[in-house]
Parts: sequence; structure tokens; C-alpha cells
Amino acid sequence: MNRRIGKLAMAFFALYVVLFAQLNLIQVGRKSTLDGDIRNTRQTVKNFNDPRGDIVTSDGVVIATSLRSEPEDRFDWQRTYPEGDTYTAITGYYTFDFGATGVEKVENDVLAGRTTAQQISGIGALFSGRDVTGDVEVTIDSRIQEAAKTALAGREGTVVVLEPATGAVRAMYSWPTYETNVVATHDADEAEAVFGYLDAAPGKPLLVNAYQERYMPGSTFKIITTAAALDAGLVDDTTIWSEESEFLPPQTIDPIQNYGGKVCGGDLVEVFRRSCNTPFARMAIDLGPDVMVDAAERFGIGAKIPIDLPAPAASEFGDVDYFEQNLPLLGIGGFGQGNTTMVPLHMAMVAASVANGGVMMKPYVVATTSDQDGRVLRRTAPTAWRTPMSPATADRLTNLMVEVVNSGTASCCLRLSNGVQAAAKTGTAQLNMAGEPERSHAWIVAFAPAQAPRYAIVVMLKGTNAEISEGTGGTLAGPIASRVLDVALSR
Amino acid sequence: MSFVADRRRATELRLVIFAGLITAGAYTLASLGKNSVIPPRILPFLAVLLLVLVSAHIAVRLLAPGADSTLLPVAALLNGLGYVMIARLSERLAGLQTTWTFVGIIAFTTTLIVVRRVNDLARFKWSFFVVGAGLLLLPMVPGLGFSSGGARIWVNIGPVNFQPGEFAKIALALFFAAYLAESRELIKNGTWRVGRFLLPEPRDLLPLLGAWGFSVVLMVGQKDLGSSLLFFTLFIVMVWIATEKAAFMTIGLGLFALSATTAYFVFDHVQTRVSIWLDPWQSYRGRGYQIAQSMFALGSGGVGGTGLGLGDPTRIPEAKNDFIFAAIGEELGLFGATALLIAFLLIIGAGLRTAIRAKRDFAKLLAIGLTTIVGMQAFIIIGGVIRVVPLTGITLPFVSYGGSSLVANYVLLALLLRISDNTAKRLGEAPDQMSAVERFEAARARRRIARSGVTE
Repeated sequence: MNRRIGKLAMAFFALYVVLFAQLNLIQVGRKSTLDGDIRNTRQTVKNFNDPRGDIVTSDGVVIATSLRSEPEDRFDWQRTYPEGDTYTAITGYYTFDFGATGVEKVENDVLAGRTTAQQISGIGALFSGRDVTGDVEVTIDSRIQEAAKTALAGREGTVVVLEPATGAVRAMYSWPTYETNVVATHDADEAEAVFGYLDAAPGKPLLVNAYQERYMPGSTFKIITTAAALDAGLVDDTTIWSEESEFLPPQTIDPIQNYGGKVCGGDLVEVFRRSCNTPFARMAIDLGPDVMVDAAERFGIGAKIPIDLPAPAASEFGDVDYFEQNLPLLGIGGFGQGNTTMVPLHMAMVAASVANGGVMMKPYVVATTSDQDGRVLRRTAPTAWRTPMSPATADRLTNLMVEVVNSGTASCCLRLSNGVQAAAKTGTAQLNMAGEPERSHAWIVAFAPAQAPRYAIVVMLKGTNAEISEGTGGTLAGPIASRVLDVALSR
Repeated sequence: MSFVADRRRATELRLVIFAGLITAGAYTLASLGKNSVIPPRILPFLAVLLLVLVSAHIAVRLLAPGADSTLLPVAALLNGLGYVMIARLSERLAGLQTTWTFVGIIAFTTTLIVVRRVNDLARFKWSFFVVGAGLLLLPMVPGLGFSSGGARIWVNIGPVNFQPGEFAKIALALFFAAYLAESRELIKNGTWRVGRFLLPEPRDLLPLLGAWGFSVVLMVGQKDLGSSLLFFTLFIVMVWIATEKAAFMTIGLGLFALSATTAYFVFDHVQTRVSIWLDPWQSYRGRGYQIAQSMFALGSGGVGGTGLGLGDPTRIPEAKNDFIFAAIGEELGLFGATALLIAFLLIIGAGLRTAIRAKRDFAKLLAIGLTTIVGMQAFIIIGGVIRVVPLTGITLPFVSYGGSSLVANYVLLALLLRISDNTAKRLGEAPDQMSAVERFEAARARRRIARSGVTE
């Protein structure tokens, strides 16, 4: 029997070698996959028991930090947002039960001290006992952000301020939003209740409507149609549109009307200033589906906004085949109605590209990241995203938008302090069908100073209630833009 | 005159103390890692630990001086590491596990006292079968047995819950060893001609097959898949070695394939286990959760482990029990987990060496059976936890929390030591003098004779 016992020993040895091999496979081979699995809460628990770096504005206001928890808390550190809900759109939240979003998510490795550079410089800290968390400086200017929040005054909508030359986001505020400190609770039941409430709440507070949602843009879209027509050589200073109240496009018996059925016409300055609809419908149809869709794509419509924040939305215009079959809708799309939808931030980028000589910059909110000793880990370099129009067209559009401020639809309401000249375009996206109560999104996009632009802005007020029923973009959104730009330009 | 046995005992003492120091060290580290304090009662802890281990050693020295020197220290190390992990998971269970360790050592000593010549046990073979079968049936008794975790393998007597199956395995191994030792020649050299084949006489084979079939059907019926698998393997291995015929191995494996396939199609819970084994992630929120957490734990441990007290093993369901290997893999890493595998290989090695050295068939087969129980049980549960085989809930010998398992394994260990000691005596490695028990009985006999006034 002894020979068999020897064989049995070999069999056992083989079985245990299989166990050893599988252990290697799991603990070495698949380690990173397992650690990275979103269902694996081990790393998160560890993170919640470690401190986390700060998020600060460009002018040094701390908008997210970690404090020692109460002794009975389930984790050692509590994420805290000293400015309440003012910076929710930027910081996002960092929660145990519902993950993270915003800068908390995209710069998680830096904040937790987990980038390779931090790990290497942290080897020394292992012995000194110091933490290796990194800090993130965002492009937001606290005074512009505060001004945006104050000016919006709790109305549903958004305000975004950009630097046209760099794409740096200087302010981004959306309403409805949520109090980040409440969301960051460690109490699992409370978190569940809060998220359940926010998820079901009207106006989708969990989404930042500035960059995660899209809305019908109304006449602000005429900037894009005009840029396409100027670049294509379809229109110039001599083009005249006849006075008319409606225009019957091909393929339909239903005419396109001007706002309120007004008679409207003249040269480009005139129709742009007064925001007539029919000339832009004619422009879009004359350019044809190919050229219009191509122009929309050059503006980045259809692509996700390339901002350094999670889950940005993409604006929509339509495709060539669709418009071939529906030329009236191409006409309506030419002045931002119908199926056209724009992300508010994207409209600010459109205005900024006019201000920037026709070059659209990538928007960004993370200015620099730095390690525990303040050494810069990464500094965002401004990059161009698209070149939607020629410099000459940008110049022409600047002049057209200046006229809108001086004698057009924004003249009522966009007046900057110290005589600074602004350039703007208003929009009133009609949401109601015929016979329904009037409802519209009120828009304004602007930049200032017109000849040496420092800031571009979008203000969008959602047409969700009666307050916005009568409005044309200028009267409602204009004053908000004025106040925010005044603060920005005083900096 | 110096004996090999003396060197063995000296080695055992050193190794046992070493195992105690490792355990106390690990206990301190776990406390430091978890609460950043040195356990306040670490010195009394170490004293009690060494006292228990040294008592077990002294029991061996007095009762089985020629026995193998590695079995007890390795078991003590496994027991110690398991204790550290259990204490790190739950203070309350640690207290209970301490009690069970004491009971285990007492059972170990008692077994050594009661069983003096292992071959004496062979003649009780049918009694062992009855005891084994009775123990297996116990959980089915209404009012006594109860189900936990899907398997009806528990018995409640007064304040104590226990799993009689843990002891049934030893009883049945004794039965098989005795039966096969007696009938192996008859089974091996079949005389019943069926066509071209010579088969064993049915009267030699049937009792064996009957006893085995009864036990396996019972375990399957109790949904105790782990024990069924273990028992199946134990039987095949013992028959194969006793008969020295590869055909039995082939038939056994064929039978295994057949029963496994049948079980797969007949029982839902078998299908579930297999599908979880193949892809635990698919049912992450359901039955795959345990395995998935086990994978996360092992992954986060990596090569070096998170360090004792620094991991997060409480997330693994049943970490103290079936999944204790994953908890150890998390905090001690690939190194610690491999050390555990090596410890089990050492037990298997020492057990099989004991089998090879033993002279009588019964002792040989019993050593093989007992070693196979420990080796296979560890393989089945570790393999289940790390997805080498489908998970079937059984305990990791000496490591998992649980009284029945710990006590039964100490009894098993004592039997192995006894076989090894008997062999040493026969080979003259140990002094062939009276053991402590024999001296005690001789003294008693002398006193009785003196009292009755008979002169020599």
C-alpha cells in the first residue's frame, strides 16, 4: 500500500499547488481589477477614514475641506462644504453611499493623495506621519460666483461666466440645486432619504442644468445661423430682407411667423438687432441641410461638452437626412426653435468664440492641482476645441451683437457700469403650443468689453412657471447678466 | 540511553512554544492595527496560551512519547492564527473559541488516555458505524436537530449547539479502516466471475457499499454538500489504497461524475452553487455576494496583506467560519495564505508518513483516512472560498470558529499521534517502558494485591 500512499501524497500536493496558483491569480493577477470594481467598498471605506485635500477658488476661498468627525461617527473624517450650496455645481458631492460627482469625482486621486507623484513624494511622509492629500484650485472667482447666485435669486435657470480667450469657467451657478453638506451625511438612512427626495424633486436638482441638460435656445441660436451664412458668403452687408410677418417654407402649408406676428425686415444689422425670425428661417433653408448641419458640427453641436466635469450633455440640432425631409423644421431650427436644444454652457461658449476671434476654447474648472507641499502637480493649459467661424465673421458678429445692446432687444436691460460696451444676443424659446398659456425659456448670451472681451456670459431662465410667460429674453435675463458682468468687470 | 523519541519531544516543545509566540505576536499586532493599543492583558494571555500548549505537549510526552513531532505544533499554529482572526472579528466569539480550545485539548488528552493501542479499535468496527450513522441521523430528530444556513446538520442539547457530523466523520473513517483492513484481500482478489471479469463477492462488498451509500445519501439529504463531497473522496481514497486497484479509483471517479451530474439536475441548490462558482458577479446582489466579497478581500490583501487589524474582513459574510481563509488572505496577504496552505501540507505529510510507517493494515488505513479528512476538508473549503471548486460550507480544520469542528479535529489529531507512537514503540524509537497510565494501573494492581494479602 505504501506506493499508493506516495501517490496520494503527490495528489494532495498537486491539489494544494492548484490552490496556490489560484491565490496568485487573485491576489496578484486580478488585484487591480478587484480593487477598481465599483462594488468594492473597501477602498471607499479606507478613503473615508483618511483625510482629503481642499478645493479652493482662484481667489483662495475654501469650498470643500475635510474635518474630524464626531467621535460616534462611522468614519474618521467628514467632508464639509463651507460655502453651502453656492459651489455645488463645481465641487459636486463626495458620499459613501452614493459615490461622488463634480471636482470631487474627477480629481479624486489628487484629493485622496493617490496619484503616482503624490505616492512617491509621500514615502517620506510615511515616517513623519503627515498626510499626502492634494489640493485642487478651481477657476471659479468667488465674487462672480456669489454675484451669479444672488442675481439668479432662486429662479430656475443658470448663469455661466467664461473667459473667452482661455475657456476658464469663472462662475457657474444653477438652480435648483442642493445643500452639499446635507448630501454628504455619513448616516446611510439619511443619505438614502435625501437622495431619494432629490432624485424625485421637480427641476432635477441632482443635475447641474448649466452643463448636464439642454434647452431650446430660441433666438440666441441666430448667432450660429448668421455665422454659417456669413462664412458661406450667402449674406453680406448689402443683403436686404423684405418686410414680412410670415414666410411659407417649402413642403408645408403652415407659415413661419415672426414673434407676435410682427412685420419685420431690413438689412442684417436690422433683422439681427430686432431678432426677426423669417430672415433666419430663409437663411437656414437657403444654406440647405448640408451646410447648416456642417456649421452646427463646427460649433460642437452633437458632441459632448469637453468640460473637465463628469457626465456633460451634448447640444442637438439634427442630421442632414432628417432636414432633407423636413425643410420647414430646418427653417425653424435656424432661429433656435423646433428640435434644436443647446446646453447653456455651450451657448456661453458660442458667445465666447465670437469674442475670441472665432476660436472656441475648451471650458475647464480645474486650474491647478498641487501636492501636500504645494508643489504643482498639473496646471490646465487652455486648449482650442473648435474653430466655428472665420475671424472676419467673428468681427461682423461682434458688431451685430453690439447693436443688439445699443438699439436692439437687449437695449432695455443690459447696461454695464462705467460705460463699458457689451455685445449680446437675446433669446425667447417658445415652449407653448398654439392655444396654450405662454411659456418660454428666457436667454441672453453676452460678452464684454465688446472690443477687448474679458468675460462671456450666458443666463438662462427656465420656462417652468407663469413668471416667465410674457418674457422676451432681454427683459428677464438681461438684468441678471448686467449685474454679474458688472461684478466680474470690477475685478 | 537516548531515544529518537526524546529528540522528537524536545523538537515538539520548541515548536509548540514558537507557535504560541507567533500567536501572541499576531494577537498583539491585530490589536495594534485595529485599536492602536497593545492588548492590556497580553502577558496573562501569553501565559495561558503557553500553559495550554505546554500541557498538550506534556500529555503527548507522558502518553505518546514516540509520536510525530510536527503534528501538534502545526495544529496549534493553525488554531492560534484562527483564534487571532476570530478575536479580531468578534470579542464575544473569541471567548467562546477559547473555551472550545480548552475542551479540544481535554478531548485530545482523553483520547490519548483511552486509546492506548490503536489496533484495539478495529474490533469495534460495527459499533463505530452505528455511532457514526447515529450521529448523522441526530439532526433529523425532531426537537433536537435544526437547520442553519440551509443545511440540517445541527443538534441542540441544552445550552450547546453542535454538529455531530464532525464526529461522525471520524467514526466512519474508523469503520472503513477496520472493514477494509479485514476484507481487503477478499475485495482485491475477486472470486465472483461475471463474464470476463472477476468481481469481489457481493457479501464482502455490499456491507461496505451499503454503509457508505447510507451515509452519503443522508448527507445529501441534509443538504450538507461539503461533507458529502468529503465523504465521497474519503471512501474512494481508502478503497483505492486498500485494494491497490486502479479500477476502483476509475469506478469511484465515474460514480462521482455520475452522482455529481445527477445532483446538479435534481437539486436546485447544487445548480445555484455551480452557477455562482462559474460567475459570482452575475448574482452579486444575491447569492454571489459572499464569493464576490471574498474576492475583494483577497484582492485588497495582495501579496503582503493589509496587516492584521488593518483590513476590512467584517464585510465578508461568515468571515469567522467558512470564509476565514479569505479574511486571513486579506490581512496577511498571499504570504499568510500560502503559509496556511503549507501548514496543511505539513499535516498531510506527517499524517501520510505515519501511515507509511505503520505496520498493521488497520493503523495504516486509519492514518490515511484521518489525514484525508483534514487534507480534503481544507482543500474543499479553501478551494470554495477562492473559486477553485464550487463553494460548499464546511469548516477549515483548526482555524474556523466552532466547537464541534475544533474538538473533533483534536480527537482526530490524537488518533494520528497514537498511531505514530505505536509505530515508534514497535521500531524501538521510544522506550518500551510502561506509559504513565500503565504505571498508574500497575501501581493500583500492586496495591490491590497487597491489600488482599497475597504474597508473590
